[in-house]
Amino acid sequence: MTNPRLAFLFVTPALLFLAAVLGWPLLEAVVLSFQNVGVIGTTGSWVGLDNYAKVIGSAGFWNSFGRSALWVVANAVVQTFMALGVALLLNQKFPGVRIARTWIILTWIVPTVVVVIIWRWLLSSSGGMVNPLLIQAGVIDRPVGFFATRESAMATLVMINSWRWFPFTALMMLAGLTRIPGDLYEAARIDGASAMKRFTRITWPLLQPTLLVLGIVGTLLSFNVFDVIWLLTAGGPSQATQTLPVLIYETAFKGYRLSEAATISVLTSILLMAFALLATRAMTASEEAR
Amino acid sequence: MKRTLPQSLALYSGLLLVFLIIGMPFWWVVTGSIKVPREIIARVPTMFPQSFTTQHFEKLFQSTDFPAYLVNSIGVALFSTVITVALALPAAYAFFRMRFPGRDTLYRLILLAYAFPTIVVLIPIYGLFAKVGLIDTRTSLVIVNVAFALPFSIWMMRSFLSTVPKEIEEAAIIDGAPARVILLRIMAPLIAPGIASVAIFTFIASWTEYLFASVLIVSDVRRTVPVGFAGIIGQYQIDWGLLLAGATAATIPVVILFAFVGRWFVSGLTEGAVK
Amino acid sequence: MKARLLTIAGLASILMGSTAFAEPVSLTLWHMEQPPHRVQRMQELLDEFNKAHPDVQVKQEPQSWGEIYAKAPAAFAAGTGPDMLFAIPDFTTVIKGIDAVVPVDDLAKDLEAKHGFVPATIAPYQYDGHTWAIPAYNMAISMWFRNSALKAAGVEVPKTWTEWKAVAEKLSTDGRYGVGLPANKQLYTDQTVYALMVNGGAADIYKEDGSISFDTPETVASLQAYGDLQKLSPPDSTSWTWGEAEACFASASCGTILQFSVINTYETQAEADAADLGVAPVPHSDDQSKSGTISYSNAIMLTTKDEAKQAGAKVFLAWLLEPANYGRFLTMEPGLFLPVTNDGAKAESFWSDKVVTKYKSQVETMIANSQNGKLFGFTTGKVFPSIGAISGQNVIAESLQKMVVDGQSAAEAAKFGQARMSEIAGK
Repeated sequence: MTNPRLAFLFVTPALLFLAAVLGWPLLEAVVLSFQNVGVIGTTGSWVGLDNYAKVIGSAGFWNSFGRSALWVVANAVVQTFMALGVALLLNQKFPGVRIARTWIILTWIVPTVVVVIIWRWLLSSSGGMVNPLLIQAGVIDRPVGFFATRESAMATLVMINSWRWFPFTALMMLAGLTRIPGDLYEAARIDGASAMKRFTRITWPLLQPTLLVLGIVGTLLSFNVFDVIWLLTAGGPSQATQTLPVLIYETAFKGYRLSEAATISVLTSILLMAFALLATRAMTASEEAR
Repeated sequence: MKRTLPQSLALYSGLLLVFLIIGMPFWWVVTGSIKVPREIIARVPTMFPQSFTTQHFEKLFQSTDFPAYLVNSIGVALFSTVITVALALPAAYAFFRMRFPGRDTLYRLILLAYAFPTIVVLIPIYGLFAKVGLIDTRTSLVIVNVAFALPFSIWMMRSFLSTVPKEIEEAAIIDGAPARVILLRIMAPLIAPGIASVAIFTFIASWTEYLFASVLIVSDVRRTVPVGFAGIIGQYQIDWGLLLAGATAATIPVVILFAFVGRWFVSGLTEGAVK
Repeated sequence: MKARLLTIAGLASILMGSTAFAEPVSLTLWHMEQPPHRVQRMQELLDEFNKAHPDVQVKQEPQSWGEIYAKAPAAFAAGTGPDMLFAIPDFTTVIKGIDAVVPVDDLAKDLEAKHGFVPATIAPYQYDGHTWAIPAYNMAISMWFRNSALKAAGVEVPKTWTEWKAVAEKLSTDGRYGVGLPANKQLYTDQTVYALMVNGGAADIYKEDGSISFDTPETVASLQAYGDLQKLSPPDSTSWTWGEAEACFASASCGTILQFSVINTYETQAEADAADLGVAPVPHSDDQSKSGTISYSNAIMLTTKDEAKQAGAKVFLAWLLEPANYGRFLTMEPGLFLPVTNDGAKAESFWSDKVVTKYKSQVETMIANSQNGKLFGFTTGKVFPSIGAISGQNVIAESLQKMVVDGQSAAEAAKFGQARMSEIAGK
């Protein structure tokens, strides 16, 4: 259908909306990054590329970048693993499958703030259930602090964030699974292929496009996760969980260096954009290959 | 197609595990909300409540604006959803079917909206909204929610549209139906489950949004559930009972909603459209 | 011609003046006392005030400490800020930095003459030649314990760090923890660590010239003592805020904790046996002879440029500190908020509160402790703007985590803190 004017009529409202609410503020952030504004609401003067030189030269930025990368990868691995397992389960036929498919999403429809409070309580040593359960199960012999060491703090945050998101990911995968034609499995079964073989030869390859898309969207979504980390550890202990969004927030609102925060944001955006561009290119390439 | 015993065993133990992982925390929260304070923070926690009280819920509904928070949240989420769908559907259709200069570039540009840390736009948006008098209005939240949900919605709808067989559409075009009619009368009903998923996604995203709601809203009576809930956490003292009651109360409305529309979300995702 | 103009101008001003008079001044007050019962009490007071003063109408908008540091500057920049805003000293420096706060020198002088401020409560707001806020209530950290538990363990109330450690070790039995000290990167940890620093002779983190003096032998000793005690704390104390510490104490899992007040929690979630609840000054280092503590004087800033509103706000603040009203303001959280004025400390409206009456001796000890309160960055009479960022980024707590989490020595932690603070201060 070739009717550019109508097409623009369809696209323009959404585009205008995005331009006004996201595009314009983003431009303002770029402008800020070339100034030296401290506290929000004050004015600054132009400083050229000073902020960029400072941020790129600081170990803090690159450390946070590394932690963000770790955060995204760890979340992707944990969530993909859990979600794929759940998706495969839900793709079976059993009594109550519809109910299971609906209510699996429970953790995702609860506000993040509530999720944070739930886990803060459950993991605490006063009234928390997790420590006593682990002791009973013989996993540990005395209560542990889940946010006590750098590694366990990061791991605990990843688990909590994954707990919230894996059902959503699972449903997206389930959608991918249901699009795999059933006769393929039928044919494979007739050929005598084992369950394992059916998975590696049919399910896994045909799920690739779904996984790729989820990988891209999931990366961008989990990269931006801020409230869970901020409300549970505020980037601690000893900065072990200070990802880039946390660093940006802290620099802007706790350290009162708004321009520096804007600079970190711009640099972060450039890195994410590069990732997204490469990834969407790979996606279109695989779409065309099909 | 019969399952062997080990297969059944694996299936049901897997399901049980998932059930426990998701259900246990909620069980503890809901049962915790009816325990007396001493039992909530007991050194040896109880799996089943040994006491019963409604004091936390009484406090929640008598001395906080929780009902108002609920109404605000539902209103904001509903409006966000309707507007998002109204904007996303035509845009997705145009990106999917229509040819116009700059289509691919624009489409990529929209998806890039997620490549920015959301925090970065917080302050500029505050300034912008202040200029046009939107601070402390629920409208401001609707605008922000729509902006954040739009790219994903357009992208999801476009992929749903692509599941519609081309023949159906072509038949309509040959009949001389205008694009508006094709979209609303033919395509939309065909991808109705998909639209439902997008709508529910937007609803939940708006329902759970915290950062912007916490900064853009000033008055207590206009707060949404997440911000109102965060408010009862308190600075120097934590009333765990009140928090657990709040957590329960914040969960129940979406659970009720999901009891009605939940299956649409799943079937929308899994079936998408007629294949 | 000129006369006519003058008449018109005069008439106009009378008209405008009278409309301004007839039209009540409406004021917005932002505070961070968000728990519902505090909001409720505040509303009762406001209703009463508004009724008695038809020309000044005050309405409250509770905010949260979590966001106010981002929200208030943005709101002032956008012209949507409040007319009065609650503050703690470091927050005032931030708001002063964006020129949103108005000095209240005259009002402070009047109220001083009338009620007499506790010096430690108003000093953190007096610098650069002005008074920047009117103190509203005080909070100071004390040590809390159960008399019965100490008795059962056969120990006395500890006065020094060495005694405290010995007591904590005695109380650590049977899955209980002798002490509950946080090590989170959070304000509570800043407060408890600084409470020990005050008692170790390391109260000043700035020198006279604004340079940082964190890396001192006294700080190192204080961090060391804190670290030793912290080892006896529950394993999850690295993620504690105030609430977890209180819960630990209320459930009798923690033997001793440092806290502003546990009275409310103890009353509602624990035994509620007033005779058993013990409170004492924070123990001091072995070479000191007296205990001090950290205190937070919370105050109210005037943040409107409109003179009519300023006048109205002053009427309100004066009304609030009247002993007949002030006690009811303080008891919005009974046993937590302490008086900042001398006559407030004697006010019938304060002591007649049910909870305050029940825990009278504890409250008296708290008030006595609060008189020796200090606050980091506000100890020398000179205030440097970088304290806002040092406090905001919890550098003291961060330094402690270098020890507790990363296993560094107290000396290394102090060195880290010194470097970090100097970087922030730009000196």
